[in-house]
Amino acid sequence: NANKIKRTPDAKKSISLPVSRVRLIMKSSPDVSSINQDALFLTTKATELFVQHLALSSFNNGSGKDSNTLEYSDLAKTTEENETFHFLTDILPKKILARDYLKTLEQMQEEEEEADL
Amino acid sequence: MDGDSATTDASQLGITGEYMASSHYVLQSQDDDGEENLNDHEDGGIKENYREQDIYLPIANVARIMKNAVPQTGKIAKDAKECVQECVSEFISFITSELYLQKFREAMKGEKGIPGVSVGESLGEDLTEDSFTNPLPAGIITADGQQQNVMVYTTSYQQVQHTHTHSVTVCVTKGS
Repeated sequence: NANKIKRTPDAKKSISLPVSRVRLIMKSSPDVSSINQDALFLTTKATELFVQHLALSSFNNGSGKDSNTLEYSDLAKTTEENETFHFLTDILPKKILARDYLKTLEQMQEEEEEADL
Repeated sequence: MDGDSATTDASQLGITGEYMASSHYVLQSQDDDGEENLNDHEDGGIKENYREQDIYLPIANVARIMKNAVPQTGKIAKDAKECVQECVSEFISFITSELYLQKFREAMKGEKGIPGVSVGESLGEDLTEDSFTNPLPAGIITADGQQQNVMVYTTSYQQVQHTHTHSVTVCVTKGS
């Protein structure tokens, strides 16, 4: 019935992310003044779990299962389909090839010109 | 070569040179060569001042966690690693944000809450030993079926000259 984290050496070893860097990111938020050590530890651990969750979900959900490779498109797809990851929508836009974009742009311009005639 | 050194330095500093402001499309070169993108934005990345939102965790650490999460023989594309690196910073900022904590506290009230646990805030109190012995709100983080009970203590939500500050302490106990 422990209310505190037991910060044994084992607990510290179980993190594979730099705590100081996590702290830096947390501090960059205007909402945050001071950060409790346990809060920092937990956030770091939670971040680790998040990476695992995002990677595995995307791998299983996307083309990864067949190609055995996790691609950017798998991440974008999972973000779109999974409510948990909706907060990532802005930074995980779907990619298109430059030539396809330029083609679409050309088509749009042609349609505008036709409309003007 | 310049692209490579920029990447290496960026990784060590936790800054990626090719970070782009949000837009609807991320353009990929026709050769599908990630290096070209790096070179295109290299000048902007290096000459720009260090921005708070460009702080990332080292890509090596992130990549390692991803590698261990997917099946043994699985591979991970380079742009997927870089993308998750950015997502991580976004995640940390998100769960640290006042908006998230507000929603979290609301969600823990009433039926959605955990029996026997009440959600509350202590206003303007100092963090004392009592704060740890009387847990208030609680939540659950799950990943891959692992359940951990999260006890969240919110302390000293203060209003200081129109700015809102709060410090958050979080403790975790393995789920029972």
